[in-house]
Amino acid sequence: MPDAAMPASAPAAPTVSSHGQRRLATPERVLLALLVGELIWFSLAGTNFLTLDNGLEILRASTEVGLLALALTPVILTGGIDLSCGALLGLSAVVFGAIWRDAGQSITVAAAAAIGVGLVGGAINAWMVAGFGRPALIVTLGTASLFRGLAEGLTGGAVNYSGFPAAFLHLGQGRVLGLPTQAWVLIVAVALIAVLVHAATIGRGLRAIGYAPEGARFAGIPVGRRLALVYLLSGGAAGVAGLVYAARLGQARADAGTGFELSAITAVVLGGTSIFGGRGSVWGTILGLVALGVLTNGLRLADQPAELAGVLTGILLVVAIGVGARRGRT
Amino acid sequence: MTRRTIGMGLALGLGLLTLGAAGACRGGGSATPDGALTVAMMPKNKGNPYFVSCRQGAEEAAQQLGVKLLWDGPTETDPAKQNDVVEAWITRGVQAIAVSVENREAMSTVLRKARGKGIKVVTWDADADPDARDAFVNQATPAGIADVLLGHASRLAGPAGGEIGIITGSLTAANQNSWIAEMRKLLPTKYPNLTIVDIRPSDDDRKKAFDETQTLLRVHPKVKVVMAIASPAVPGAAEAVKQSGRKDVGVTGLGLPNASKPYLLDGVLDSAVLWNTKDLGYLTVQVATALAKGTPIAGTTQFPGGRLGQLEVRGDNIILGTPFTFTKANVGGFDF
Repeated sequence: MPDAAMPASAPAAPTVSSHGQRRLATPERVLLALLVGELIWFSLAGTNFLTLDNGLEILRASTEVGLLALALTPVILTGGIDLSCGALLGLSAVVFGAIWRDAGQSITVAAAAAIGVGLVGGAINAWMVAGFGRPALIVTLGTASLFRGLAEGLTGGAVNYSGFPAAFLHLGQGRVLGLPTQAWVLIVAVALIAVLVHAATIGRGLRAIGYAPEGARFAGIPVGRRLALVYLLSGGAAGVAGLVYAARLGQARADAGTGFELSAITAVVLGGTSIFGGRGSVWGTILGLVALGVLTNGLRLADQPAELAGVLTGILLVVAIGVGARRGRT
Repeated sequence: MTRRTIGMGLALGLGLLTLGAAGACRGGGSATPDGALTVAMMPKNKGNPYFVSCRQGAEEAAQQLGVKLLWDGPTETDPAKQNDVVEAWITRGVQAIAVSVENREAMSTVLRKARGKGIKVVTWDADADPDARDAFVNQATPAGIADVLLGHASRLAGPAGGEIGIITGSLTAANQNSWIAEMRKLLPTKYPNLTIVDIRPSDDDRKKAFDETQTLLRVHPKVKVVMAIASPAVPGAAEAVKQSGRKDVGVTGLGLPNASKPYLLDGVLDSAVLWNTKDLGYLTVQVATALAKGTPIAGTTQFPGGRLGQLEVRGDNIILGTPFTFTKANVGGFDF
């Protein structure tokens, strides 16, 4: 099954990417079919599932994981991974709360600090992965523990920052021009990452790094700088997601975003991005995100227990990847 | 080309099969006729045996009242999970939501939203902000707990009365201190022949409770009753009294049945006080259903709690009633 995704298929790189730009690539079409299946099923089994309001709720609930997944797409395209983004979300949410309440700064200063924390966290990952060539899996596993530990240390594991002003809560709970406020943040992120991955030459460079880092270096691609950029972006996205999380729930605690990195990776991989790098698209990630969001939401509206979502996510992943790999070979 | 079509068909088929399987293994509600009220109830954690026990009572009440009960909540440490589930319940359109609140600030926001949509909101076990819910099912009042504990102590000390030593949580624990304050109020009037001679901390640690109880017995050799009022302190205190060989010292306290069970069965521990979790779940569904049917609760003085009889209402709190006592005879029926 994984052989289609192995770097061994490197020579096929340009064909796959130009193919992907002309029409939806295989895994994305499989996913689209699954998504249609979900929609049909839940509109029959769920109560009030197929309503505009519910669609917007799904969008609202998916924004934080969506931001992480979007920023993870270029990371995974280079054959890397960022396991620390969920923990970094928690740390930036807590820092936001601490700067606003304990240090008595304005919301703007606190928000800037939270995004700053995300960028610094991303820079640490970038420094270790791009600068020292350490394996991303190990590096970000370590920084995940570090960031979560810092968040817990900062709050003693118990402090819960809350009571944020209404103007800030609007970011997570309000609507602007008919859409949940945070959806606009997500749309901007989609545009940014889509340009990065699909329009700019950088995107082709990222795929090349994913297929063969050494080859990319010989081809004159500044591998170190490209890698640093994607990890930095992932950190920044975690910072923004931390703010959205705090605004949606109206609280910031050290355990914010627990497990979000895994949901984000699931969305990316479900969307057909190869975990070995080199192959994938932003559109796939968006489809993956929607498929997951609809599944979780639909199950609840069909009165199913929440843990079933985990089982079905697993099945979806296996089916999508299994079918995708088979079709990828033909 | 045909293989491609087959692939697509396969994917779609499997997807539908998967979701069909989801429909087959329904977990939450029991089957009730259409048009019945739907009450959605959430524990802090679905896996915790304490809440599993609450659910039994909730299912019982739902069956009795003919309402559809949805039971769902977090299974892991994701503080956003409670919010996500309540959001879905609001969209789904249930008539009442009952929540044991883990994150007060975060939940209060979404519960207010539910109220704004005309859904009746009840909190149980742990409360939200008062304006975020219609009623709180209060499992025990400090005065009620103090009275039952002193009742057991008085029975153990015998008609002549005597000295009580208390093993508490930490010396600053708010819950325990409120129970002790209520006991001090009750002693002169209701139990004049009992005196509290010592209050020692266990810091919610079984070993420390053991050590402090040994010290208590040495410092106050005339103590007739050891009262351990934090769950981990109960087995610690019971073990210390058991090892001292003092058959004339009785042990009572407040704690979970599983922690107390060995010592209750052993006979060292006379009784462990808590609330009846099944009754808590039962009453919560009763209250949620009554509210959904438009019965006002705030401002009344009594609530008809089904098999629990008439229960006291204080403001918008419905009081579950007298705390429940686990003894050698009944502890086998509880598992949490």
